Amino acid sequence: MHSVKTINLSRVFKRDDGSIVHALDGVTLSVNRGEIFGLLGPNGAGKTTLIRILSTLLLPTSGEAYVEGYDVVREASKVREIINVVSGGERAGYGIMTVRENLWYYTQLYGYSGREGWRKVDELVELLGMEEFANVRLNRLSTGMIQKYNLARGLVNDPKVLFLDEPTLGLDVEVARYIRGLIKRLIAERPDRTIFLTTHYMAEAEELCNRIAIIHRGKIIALGASDELKKLVSQEVVYRVEVKGLHSKLVDEILERKLAVTASWKSDIVSGVTVLRLVFRDEGDAGRAIEWLVKSGFTVTSAHRVEPTLEDVFLKLVGVRLHE
Amino acid sequence: MSKYTLLFRAAFGRAYIRVKGGNKEPSWVIWEVFLPLLMVSSVVYAYRMLGAPSEYIGFVVLGGAMVSFWFNVIWGMGATLYWEKETGNLEVFMVSPAPLEGLLLGMALGGMFNTLTRALSIVVMGVLLFGATFNITGLLPAFLVFMLTMVALYALGMSIASIFLMYSRSGWRAAELLQEPVMFLSGLYYPVSVLPALIQGVASIIPLTIGLDGIRLSLVMGYGIWELRHHIALLSAMIPVLMYLARRILHYMEVKAKREGRLTLRWM
Repeated sequence: MHSVKTINLSRVFKRDDGSIVHALDGVTLSVNRGEIFGLLGPNGAGKTTLIRILSTLLLPTSGEAYVEGYDVVREASKVREIINVVSGGERAGYGIMTVRENLWYYTQLYGYSGREGWRKVDELVELLGMEEFANVRLNRLSTGMIQKYNLARGLVNDPKVLFLDEPTLGLDVEVARYIRGLIKRLIAERPDRTIFLTTHYMAEAEELCNRIAIIHRGKIIALGASDELKKLVSQEVVYRVEVKGLHSKLVDEILERKLAVTASWKSDIVSGVTVLRLVFRDEGDAGRAIEWLVKSGFTVTSAHRVEPTLEDVFLKLVGVRLHE
Repeated sequence: MSKYTLLFRAAFGRAYIRVKGGNKEPSWVIWEVFLPLLMVSSVVYAYRMLGAPSEYIGFVVLGGAMVSFWFNVIWGMGATLYWEKETGNLEVFMVSPAPLEGLLLGMALGGMFNTLTRALSIVVMGVLLFGATFNITGLLPAFLVFMLTMVALYALGMSIASIFLMYSRSGWRAAELLQEPVMFLSGLYYPVSVLPALIQGVASIIPLTIGLDGIRLSLVMGYGIWELRHHIALLSAMIPVLMYLARRILHYMEVKAKREGRLTLRWM
């Protein structure tokens, strides 16, 4: 049985100026129970809209959506009993109350008795390692602490399906790693749980997700396991090229001249090097592009073929890079 | 678990936050106890200057006390929902299975703790400062009328909250539009009998008017339950109608907000 299923799901928004935005356009997908499913897409692609529909906060314009077999429109209250949602950068809660008091309040929304609620809070504090700040007011917490608290809130009802919308957004490396570890643990400890994750971070999606869907302009344009998706660029060759100096416009010029299929770049200000990631149709194109760089007066310090990544797949399909 | 258990637990949880959170900032006592006394005092002095009968002092004090509950309904239930939405708390609540009525009830009950303190302070200060006298034998009927009024006001609060749910900031206008006319029509600082018959008729469909009149008649004039039977019957009849309408409006606004994508839309 599928944990999450959507059939031809669409959502249209009307802007104030009367124009229409297709936030979701015929999305059909199935998420297996026990899976960590990733949804990748640039800003405005429709990721949050999809999560809002699946979590019963928004009605679809057309199509169907089911969570654990329950229709999100007609059986919204059944859906709410078995799901929870945590968003990155979320600041929900009552600042003047402590972490424990806030969590206890959430236990009441799921029908725990007062005493059971406090017991659940203790359990969550231990699970998330929040002992040090459990009695601290919410408005005194750091971003990392807040996100741990948010996750604890999302686990109050031990959800069968947990929607995580950019859960590591804006977190430092250590906390982000902790949260990724926790996500893996949540599935390992309860294999019938499903996690539906949206992220901007390719490495995160690759590390965590059993399958990944790429969404662009409200449409699912690719879906599969990370290795399957990489096959979408298996015909091409990917090169990592280092060029001395900072050249922010170089990629545009390479693409204008059609020297590469896709191109992205990163500048290292400290070492003064621009690192290009170029996808070519074949080795011949790669040679021609590097030759052009040298002839144009750029100092190429290294150029070597690399394995394709999800980033290359994304770039090929969407045309823009997800900023990391 | 039954829907009602969930409703009451959610309400209890939200009321806990409101009461405990409120008491973490004790400055509320100043705003809730001393400032409202100024308005009551000015009306009492006006009546004294005009040589009004001494019962009027009790009328004014009770009116000042009851206005707190009306404010709690408008701002404590309605406008608080706006802030719940702005801070993202509504979104978290709406993902849970708890009914929205539970959140509103919790806000009303939590707000009532502060409101009750405010109302009782006004009554005590009214007795101590202005010599207002009340009939102790009227306590039981007054309590009965008060409770019925509170339930009816809660239904009104639900309707006001549903405006905030859908229209957010624009809901403030609707709340302001209700605040002053209801204060005028319910006769907070004077007996409604001084108003023209037509306006009295309009005023009588407001639960606060009937409730306040009943409480005044019992605590100031010493009326018993039998003498207040019309007040009790009217309020009892109003409650199911107002509740039904409030739930319909709330449900309609919730669905409309979900359809138009406004339920979790902030900065509106």
